[in-house]
Amino acid sequence: MSREKVFPIFAAAFAVIYVLAVEYNWALFTYHPRIGEWQWLAQPAKDGPPMYWYGWLVTSLLGASAASLISWPLTRRGSAQLWLGWMVPIVIVVIFVYLFRGFFLH
Amino acid sequence: MITVLLIVHGLLAVVLLGGITHQAMSVAWPSRNKAGIIRSFRAVNGSVYANANVALYLVTATLGGIIYPVYRVGVRTFLEDARLNSAVGLFELKEQFIAVGLGMLPLYWMLWHRPPKAGAGPARIAVTLILCAIVWYAFLVGHILNNIRGLFGL
Repeated sequence: MSREKVFPIFAAAFAVIYVLAVEYNWALFTYHPRIGEWQWLAQPAKDGPPMYWYGWLVTSLLGASAASLISWPLTRRGSAQLWLGWMVPIVIVVIFVYLFRGFFLH
Repeated sequence: MITVLLIVHGLLAVVLLGGITHQAMSVAWPSRNKAGIIRSFRAVNGSVYANANVALYLVTATLGGIIYPVYRVGVRTFLEDARLNSAVGLFELKEQFIAVGLGMLPLYWMLWHRPPKAGAGPARIAVTLILCAIVWYAFLVGHILNNIRGLFGL
């Protein structure tokens, strides 16, 4: 039962870590599509544009998994905070619209 | 090969769109009466879509990830040269929204595989509607970008 209480925490943590990963470029690895090369962590452009999306996803997956494991013992008491699992992602979506507003304003 | 993957990606997105929209309608605007197409559309058993929607979301996102480098190198460069910043921004938001949706999938799956207890109903509705909105947004943006040269006469 307490395992189920971790699911909303995972969703919330994933969204928060993901927006931080995008904003501060915490990519676990970088892909250079033009030359088909992978590198650890966020790396600058190398003969073409770099891609960080895969790295951001893995950073968020590992971070959210760690947050869920850490919070697991704490969730045994009290009820499941299901609202975290959808309210936080909505806020993160709004933050993304704000962060990317430059594409639409220029 | 990329063209085939792009078409499969689009077809799977259509199936996912149908499944998640059916489910969202059934949970947010349920109907017990099956008279007429609208009520029939809303009267489905939403829980039967959950596994398929999770699998379709994962497979469609994975396929999108496989063809993404082609967009990044060829299409995005073209859009930037054509000064279509809004189109680039729409896709940037698409990739971020899809990622947020990926993080919600375990919760979505759990909510549809447990009997709706006190307090879980609103969460089930909210999570399903958010995922439905993400899928619709991603689908429409994908279509716009896929047809952008024709749409803008480029």
